[in-house]
Amino acid sequence: MASVNGKDSSATLAFMELAIQQAKLAMESLEVPVGCVIVEDGKVVASGRNRTTETRNATRHAEMEAIDVLLEQLQKLGLSEAEVAEKFSGFDFYVTCEPCIMCAMALSILGIREVYYGCANDKFGGCGSILSIHSSGSEHLSSDDTSKGKGFKCTGGIMASEAISLLRSFYEQGNPNGLHANV
Amino acid sequence: MMNNKWEIIHIPDKPPVPPNQQPTADVFASVIEPKLANTIVRRLNQIAPLENLRHVKRVRKNCIDGGKNQISIILCVALKGENWLEGTPDGILELINAYQLSPFIAKVAKYAALSKEEWEEQCKLWPTSYHPPTYNIDGITGFSEDDSQSIFNFMKVAIELTSSNPFNQIVNAAVIVDPSVRQVIASAYDQTCYEHPSVNNTSGTRFSCQPEICTALQSDANRVEMNEQSILNRIDQCPLSYSGVSCLYPWQWKEKHQYAGKNYAWHPLRHAALVAIENAAARDRHLFPGLGNSGLSIQVDHMQSSSIINPAKRQKIPSEVAEDMTLKACTDGFHSEAVRPYLCTGFDIYLVWEPCAMCAMALVHQRIRRIFYAFPNPNAGALGSVYRLQGEKSLNHHYAVFRILLPEEVFGKKFI
Ligand SMILES: [Zn+2]
Ligand SMILES: [Zn+2]
Repeated sequence: MASVNGKDSSATLAFMELAIQQAKLAMESLEVPVGCVIVEDGKVVASGRNRTTETRNATRHAEMEAIDVLLEQLQKLGLSEAEVAEKFSGFDFYVTCEPCIMCAMALSILGIREVYYGCANDKFGGCGSILSIHSSGSEHLSSDDTSKGKGFKCTGGIMASEAISLLRSFYEQGNPNGLHANV
Repeated sequence: MMNNKWEIIHIPDKPPVPPNQQPTADVFASVIEPKLANTIVRRLNQIAPLENLRHVKRVRKNCIDGGKNQISIILCVALKGENWLEGTPDGILELINAYQLSPFIAKVAKYAALSKEEWEEQCKLWPTSYHPPTYNIDGITGFSEDDSQSIFNFMKVAIELTSSNPFNQIVNAAVIVDPSVRQVIASAYDQTCYEHPSVNNTSGTRFSCQPEICTALQSDANRVEMNEQSILNRIDQCPLSYSGVSCLYPWQWKEKHQYAGKNYAWHPLRHAALVAIENAAARDRHLFPGLGNSGLSIQVDHMQSSSIINPAKRQKIPSEVAEDMTLKACTDGFHSEAVRPYLCTGFDIYLVWEPCAMCAMALVHQRIRRIFYAFPNPNAGALGSVYRLQGEKSLNHHYAVFRILLPEEVFGKKFI
């Protein structure tokens, strides 16, 4: 379904809008507002939002949350590793913020098709800002070679200002005088 | 190569270069009358201080024929690709005219020496000063006998865990330790494949295995030895057994079918380090309940600053926002409860294999202080082999990384 995946197509914007809804859910729970949806054949199959404060686990980023939901679903359906891998190669991720190095490597491990993200991540970004995990796979080798990842496509700047203004308002409202106000 | 003792090696931020291949910078220098040295140096320090070359000495003394001293000084940095007359400060030109100097280009070491060997090599170009580097993380300059012993013991605990999974496979293992009290905080092995969590399926109980580990560590060293032996036996039986080490073969989960029929679950991302972090977080929630969802903002790592990637413009979040985020991390971590550590601040992790980029970045997020690993990971290692996250300056947290060389009798040649 490549036709729905153009950068400015209405479908792309609609999926990013859903990711932003996830980010807003995070914000309501006093989490850093970052959200993610996973799309297969034009349908959302999983979503997630940042959950690091609640879990006290700084690795519980939106992408990891969505991935866990999806993997559990697929295993409940009784799919094998190979079948799930086949499915992942058709999944697109919509994230409000460029995946960090950890999440970018997770996406490489899973072998997803493409990432669309909102704003860049100058401190931790793994899709071009700090490292380019998405393009460091072994495309030149045969696709049967699983000793290295295949890499995935990456498109940034989709509804970036919405993503940034959410983050900005989170930090401004949570931190009016440099001290955190417990709401 | 036979190795018959335990050893700890610091893995620095930058790949080591041979002392005689250090990067250099160009400067303009000139021979001067010895009696003018003080006057000219004083003037130069005012008009052209060597801002980024503070380790380079301004004056060089050479012994020339007849035992006479020849004095040369650095006038200023030579900018590449530029006619020197153009890029040079006015004051320098005045000085050159006033004292009839004949500038020449000289090469100097670009960075301060990190070792005596580097320093000696630098001085062959132009004299530099050498201050052995100081670090704010213990161990980079060496470990005491006592600390080393404790480190080796924790690595033994990790090694023991590599073969304690239900599938009889060698996997990676992780042990998170609070070094101030030498206590295991959490431990884990790879769970890319694991038995169906029918009994303990809440994450809150997964750290409860730790008293056993402490026992093994403190009072039952023999048990550790025994398990090392059993690993060796297993390696003899099955020489390809490292394919179960997730960080070594992160992309190979797609091919696993060998447990068909067994009641197992799988998750391609449950590498040992990630599971250990999860267990440490569960322990935190268990020991300090009630602080969980009260508005403490633990997550600062998604973005500290960001910009819009847009063909037309790149817009940054103001830096004060970034600073607020850092400040919040500090105040939330330490003011809300004095004894409760902020994430894994101050903790060490022991990994048998060098972690992949996912695990290495997870350890940045969780604020681990030091990483010890035994075996490098040429396929996917992110602490020196493929990437070197400890040297990525833009990250908001930096850990120190050490490799532990194991004696031959612990792991046998085949293991490496
Ligand atoms: Zn992430
Ligand atoms: Zn890993």
